Amino acid sequence: MAKDARVQVETAPRSDGAGKLTAHARYRPILLQVFQGVVGLGIFFLLWYLLVDCFGVWRFKQLPHLVSSVREFLSRNPTYGVSLFTAEYYRHLWASIQRVAIAFVTAVTCGTSLGIALAWNRWFRAAVFPLLELARPIPILAWIPLVITLSPSRPASVIILTFLAAFFITTLNTMLGVRSIDEVYFRAARSLGFSDFAILRHIVIPGALPHIFVGLQIAMAACWFSLVASEIVAGTAGLGYKVWEAYYYVQFDTMTIMMATLGLCGYLSSMLVRRIGKALMSWREEMLGGLS
Amino acid sequence: MQGALSIRGARKVYDAKTAKVVALDSIDLDIAAGEFCAVVGPSGCGKTTLLNAIAGFDTLSRGDITLDGQSLASANASAPPDASRIVVFQNGALFPWRTVLWNVACGPIMQRRLTAVQANQQAMELLARVGLQDSANKFPGELSGGQRRRVEIVRALINEPKVLLLDEPFRALDALTKSVMQEYLIELLTYVPKTVFFITHDLEEAIFLGDKVVVFSSRPARIRQSVTIDIPKPRRHEILTSPRFLEIKAMLSGAIHEEALRAFTVGERELA
Amino acid sequence: MAFEIANIDGSADNAAEPSRPRKFLLRHASFMVGSLTILLLGLAWEFARPLGLPGLSRLPAPTAIVAASAELLHSPMFWEACYKSTLRIISGFCLAQIVGIPLGFIMATNRTIFNSAFPVAESLRPIPPVAWIPISIIFWPTREASTIFIVFLGAFWIVLLNTIGGVSTIDQTYRRAALSLGSSRGHLLRYIIFPATLPTIVTGMVISMGICWEMVVAAEMIAGDTGLGYLLWQSFEISATAQVLVCMFTIGLAGFLSSAAIRKLGRLLTPWSPNE
Repeated sequence: MAKDARVQVETAPRSDGAGKLTAHARYRPILLQVFQGVVGLGIFFLLWYLLVDCFGVWRFKQLPHLVSSVREFLSRNPTYGVSLFTAEYYRHLWASIQRVAIAFVTAVTCGTSLGIALAWNRWFRAAVFPLLELARPIPILAWIPLVITLSPSRPASVIILTFLAAFFITTLNTMLGVRSIDEVYFRAARSLGFSDFAILRHIVIPGALPHIFVGLQIAMAACWFSLVASEIVAGTAGLGYKVWEAYYYVQFDTMTIMMATLGLCGYLSSMLVRRIGKALMSWREEMLGGLS
Repeated sequence: MQGALSIRGARKVYDAKTAKVVALDSIDLDIAAGEFCAVVGPSGCGKTTLLNAIAGFDTLSRGDITLDGQSLASANASAPPDASRIVVFQNGALFPWRTVLWNVACGPIMQRRLTAVQANQQAMELLARVGLQDSANKFPGELSGGQRRRVEIVRALINEPKVLLLDEPFRALDALTKSVMQEYLIELLTYVPKTVFFITHDLEEAIFLGDKVVVFSSRPARIRQSVTIDIPKPRRHEILTSPRFLEIKAMLSGAIHEEALRAFTVGERELA
Repeated sequence: MAFEIANIDGSADNAAEPSRPRKFLLRHASFMVGSLTILLLGLAWEFARPLGLPGLSRLPAPTAIVAASAELLHSPMFWEACYKSTLRIISGFCLAQIVGIPLGFIMATNRTIFNSAFPVAESLRPIPPVAWIPISIIFWPTREASTIFIVFLGAFWIVLLNTIGGVSTIDQTYRRAALSLGSSRGHLLRYIIFPATLPTIVTGMVISMGICWEMVVAAEMIAGDTGLGYLLWQSFEISATAQVLVCMFTIGLAGFLSSAAIRKLGRLLTPWSPNE
């Protein structure tokens, strides 16, 4: 009986007379969610520890150990020279972040401009779009040899490759975004006397923004992907480069640290893009749900 | 008073790949300055095509449209869209990423008729007249359908168009909101008389709002019937059951029903 | 230039009624402009060296590339590479669907599992699959398995997210209609929920196929010994630049064809869905 009552409380949040949820009932579902999330992560780490560190099941025993990786990361004097407290760590981190930042910003600038131009002018699109469509199916990494041949230096080729990845995605999404704007807005703007520039500024850009930002999130992930790959192949420093080097010299703990750092960077950068998008598109947040 | 629209021999043919589609077949129509002309007909019959030609979004294959004697459209040529004939669209064209106030005031500012300060002031006045002064800084997405329609009509009127073109503006509203909006429109137009070209598929709405009701046939569109509504304005919803209203309705509904049936059997695509 | 309110097929509503040959030109204008541009670029590339154009002159001319491709098409090594890569793609792709779709369903329908698994997934997902290559090599007994694992990983995340997204956005009305018609839970899942999510799952399939090619090339270039990616890298190492370009083009073509194939498959699976 008591159990039923408890279940009832959890599923139907209690409200006071005025109809507002009591603080207790409001935070309950979120607390539960967080708790379950923590448990999930805990199970993951526990499995890692058991399968690798503790029992060394099958081939798991060859994987980097959880405990030693964490210890290495947090120690002031790490065995292989990379931890939270060493300059080496930050050197690689900065190298990678710098490259992604330059490549991403350049790609977004070029990509959105090109995408808008492609959507705006029929002839330009007819001339340029086929070229893009020919280049697009080629996987980014397949460009590596070409880019290395044509580029002035190795770090430059890493940035160029990272740029390429984001560029194609951004251009396409921007173009689709502009073309997805309902024609009725253009007609209304023309009647109201908008100049071409005014249409660009007040219709095209805000209208395409949702599409563009979806593209930007994908482009960010693509940036990290191509950064890591090109650093492995052609880099001299950076997170990707270090992952491979650590593997090569059998410094598995360092490898794990670098992988985890990559994950964190990727997550944070995507979140940053999402936040900026939300801020720029505040009008979307205000929409009443379901009312026509 | 300006805004006399004259349409002569308007004909529009689409070359849909091989089969020629005749959307309009020789339309002759005169709308006096300040007159409210309601056009009724089955969906997809060409009413919107004519509206687009007047507004400048499309051209005619043959025929002329003149506004106060000046040519708006002739064979395969059209004056570009401008503020002299503004359209209120069926599904709304308020820019969702700008506030209500910006939406209303943008026209005069873009045309450089008013400064930003003046335009905003006028916009606020007009919004107050339709009871939406508190929504000035909201986004269109936060308003209800009826509120959005009001904003859009106000946005059209602030530009002092010679002709107001409305393409089934109340179609997406529920019946209750619709009847309120109809009264609103009439009231608004008594303050600011305009020539109106109003498209609808609802006969009662057309008779209620119009000084003249024109019935379009199904594709290819011709004018089947034209009736002047002599019920005095301003009109209230009580007249919907008055004997004169029902008389006029009886005159027109036969023709409308016939056209609707013809369109139905041919399978006109519902312009949603 | 004024923004075209005109139709996508290139015919503006304002165009006058033109003569027959003119009409043909107008209708295919876009195609002609595109072809002309490509032709001009091809010519510029061909004569880049004598013309002294900066970047393109370092590359072999198109005619040399065509010659190299003819040569390559005759070599069994090339076809073996294609075969190996394709095999890996198919394996990784199918595995990703087999694991990802059911897992997506479970996560989308069970709140507890979702809350527990999502943070773990979101922590692992941002790590680029390429960074997993060393772990993959260490863990899996064969090189083939480690390559397929990378392909699988890349595709898996896309499939998972798309499936979860698809299931959670099913219109409630479908579910209610089915329940009011007397549907059981299993019946609901199989005949209502699953078909309703198919379009989104198909989208996930198309996107993940594209990712698969990226991954296979990455894995083969970095840690492979056969396959198109490996061939590409080998060609680069021996400075056979024409061959490099042929490989690039082949991989691009293969990617395009496989995406088209998946899209076709998708349309077969969802005949009710309007074509994009």
